[in-house]
Amino acid sequence: MADGIDQININNLWGLEDKLSKVLRPVTPDPVFVDSLKLKLSRTPTVLLEQSKRHFGLAAILVGLLAGLLCYWIYRKIQK
Amino acid sequence: MKKKPVSVCAEINDDNAVKLASDGNSEAFSYLYEQNVKRIYNYIYYRIGSEQDAEDLTARVFHRAFGHIGSYEEKGVPFSAWLYRIAHNLIANWHRDNFRRKEVSLEDQIDLPHHGDLPEKMVERNQEKEMLLKAIRNLSPDRQQLILLKYLEDLSNAEIAVIMRRTEGAIKSLYHRSLIALREELEKNEKYHVMEK
Repeated sequence: MADGIDQININNLWGLEDKLSKVLRPVTPDPVFVDSLKLKLSRTPTVLLEQSKRHFGLAAILVGLLAGLLCYWIYRKIQK
Repeated sequence: MKKKPVSVCAEINDDNAVKLASDGNSEAFSYLYEQNVKRIYNYIYYRIGSEQDAEDLTARVFHRAFGHIGSYEEKGVPFSAWLYRIAHNLIANWHRDNFRRKEVSLEDQIDLPHHGDLPEKMVERNQEKEMLLKAIRNLSPDRQQLILLKYLEDLSNAEIAVIMRRTEGAIKSLYHRSLIALREELEKNEKYHVMEK
């Protein structure tokens, strides 16, 4: 009797296995997605070293100061 | 010490791809990507049931793998086992983060109508499929992983044991318990549907 019940259980499980193999079929991912991801992964990240904007600021201040000094020096010369 | 990228134009094959990729060869990584992208996508897709999220998570799996390939050590285990493990962890995070988000029905997206099918038959088949997929997704993550690896990838218990870091015997036992749990889930759903009608 117990063997009979076990046999029914095994048969049910086998039936379930058949269902699983019918339902779980591989799907194909979107080729556009596959290709774009491949492209993203294959691109080596390039590091660009940007020049600091602080240098430009300092240069502008220096140029301004020098121009100011030059103007002052010329003014003094004219006064004499 | 950081490894320098390899620019050697060696012929890439199954035997040397992992070694070359871990040495910084991007072509070797592309090769590994091509070999594994479909299976990883499928695994994620059936676990979460959304095409868009499956693409997003697949991308994350490969980005993570790409970022850590330098520290990958070959231990006689297939490379895909490492990818499956990354995917498994990312899926767990995804479920945690999206706990309250309404998930898109998996069945709505998979089933394309077969030409020549009678509408009643199509509905019946879809319902059956819907119930089975719903039942699978109600199983524990380990059981889901085992069933998907077995049926989608057609892997043996020994191969699954390597991926899931268990013994072959443990996988055999887990598989049997998974089928029983799946059948119970289906019975529960069937009762629910009968009560609803």
